Amino acid sequence: MTPDNWSFVFAAYGFALVVLVAYWCFLVRRERELTEGGEVARNSRKESGVSEPKSASRGPVP
Amino acid sequence: MRRLLGGATLAGLAAGLVMDFGVSPREATQGNVQRIMYLHVPSVWVAYLAFAIVLVASITYLIRRAEAADRLAHASAEVGVLFTALTIATGSIWGKPTWGTWWTWDARLTSVSILLVMYVGYLLLRGLIEDREQGARFAAVLGIVAAFNIPLVHFSVYWWRTLHQPPSLMKPGLATMPGIIVAALLVNFAAFTLLYVYFVTGRARVLRLEAEAEA
Repeated sequence: MTPDNWSFVFAAYGFALVVLVAYWCFLVRRERELTEGGEVARNSRKESGVSEPKSASRGPVP
Repeated sequence: MRRLLGGATLAGLAAGLVMDFGVSPREATQGNVQRIMYLHVPSVWVAYLAFAIVLVASITYLIRRAEAADRLAHASAEVGVLFTALTIATGSIWGKPTWGTWWTWDARLTSVSILLVMYVGYLLLRGLIEDREQGARFAAVLGIVAAFNIPLVHFSVYWWRTLHQPPSLMKPGLATMPGIIVAALLVNFAAFTLLYVYFVTGRARVLRLEAEAEA
């Protein structure tokens, strides 16, 4: 009977889990940075009386 | 909407895990190590899908010069590279107990490695060119040229004598596997496709925010 090699199965699933979760964390962190950075920039523009750039009013992506 | 997509993706992946470990039987020849197939084959499906979307979005960008098409191509290429790397890694882990080696310069493994290198080059090219419009144009051309490697990867197992087995599912005609294994694979195909859509829409949104921050 063929050996089961469970260690290889768990290694493959574990590796995939780590890679996919890491990419998801990267997306969430980057989006938060940019959204918060955008809020700060908008607030400082409001305080200094400068109008919004045109690019900030684009439609949804993609 | 994004939360709904995220929830559906998580539910799909959970259903896939139940199918992989709870429903699908132990394979007679390879034993339980065959369960890596439920990860390996949907990963390469997503890689093919991602690079096909890069091709379509690149052609669209060259015709219409739409920034959204460029962002879609960029996001899809990045997710495609992620899943190609995952395909190679899981295939290597599967290869050790079944073939007795982590790696061999077999036609399928070599062609998929070339595919990975080409799309890593695509992402590097985008980062190297400072002029955004010029970078997008060059990347679109490379995105079209690199797509010609996809059929080469898929049909390499027919065109050359390879250690890698021919496709059991992504081929014309009926599947040669038992129904329950096909069902488990299809659940994972659906879950991975949802994951692809979730990642690509998220990455495209981040790219839009980055462009707005730079403007």
